[in-house]
Amino acid sequence: MTDYLETQVDKFTFKVPTDRYYNSFGVWAKAEGNHIRIGLSDYLQQSSGDIAFADVRPTGTILAVGDEASDIETIKVDISIPSPLAGKIVRVNPLMETEPETINQDPYGEGWLCEIEPLDWESDLKNLMDPDAYFAHMKQQAEEEVNKNE
Amino acid sequence: MSEPKRVIIVPCSGIGKSFGTVSRVAAYQVTEDDRPDRTQLIPLSLLVLGDEEALAALAENPAITIDGCQLACATKMVRESGGEVRKELAVLECFRRHRDLKPQGIGELNEGGQKLASVLAEEVDAAVDALNQEGPENA
Repeated sequence: MTDYLETQVDKFTFKVPTDRYYNSFGVWAKAEGNHIRIGLSDYLQQSSGDIAFADVRPTGTILAVGDEASDIETIKVDISIPSPLAGKIVRVNPLMETEPETINQDPYGEGWLCEIEPLDWESDLKNLMDPDAYFAHMKQQAEEEVNKNE
Repeated sequence: MSEPKRVIIVPCSGIGKSFGTVSRVAAYQVTEDDRPDRTQLIPLSLLVLGDEEALAALAENPAITIDGCQLACATKMVRESGGEVRKELAVLECFRRHRDLKPQGIGELNEGGQKLASVLAEEVDAAVDALNQEGPENA
């Protein structure tokens, strides 16, 4: 069973599971066998709004760290999702084509974006945040956002 | 001969959001231009405040809701107010069917938003017509 770090900022509750790693943008990466599954953090999906379209790069796409893995169009913004690792996309979540709102409903589960065959996961991992570090980073982002709107 | 029941139109109240504005512009088009004799707009705020006239109208007539986002406040509030939601429409779903009509702006919608509102209004019109065809007992 997955454990979560959880915080409430203003009226919003944000969760961070402890079984994966994160880049500063709020993209998580989790090993699934030999591949790395990626998706949006709870904070990123909540702050982006209801997702209308998720255009994930097709299977076979080669990504460097920071390359756009997906384009997400929400009711508020269009965002480019930077890959947290280098490698080749080997599987795209079929729900992204038909039910992209799954990202909003289950960002850490059924709402994953794609799976990547890593080029050098051990090396990329060094540049990602562990759950505690991302939790602190995310909390600061959320609090700054609330203060900005007050 | 009994008078046909009106159809209550309840749009999203998302002030400050483009999708909320689209839902309200669509509702205005239906109730003021397209089907003024057969529809009545009830703002969500009146239901939240428990306005007696609004609640009475909702109790006696079928409702069509237009939600801006997945929170579906309009649909939930109509149901909590004892109303019968006969058709739920959502701006987000309409946008997914018309990706070229990206709504932007709040006080004043861009061209895409205005067109999306018009397309959505036509969907509401069709829903109103379908309820009317079911007869005065139903609409």
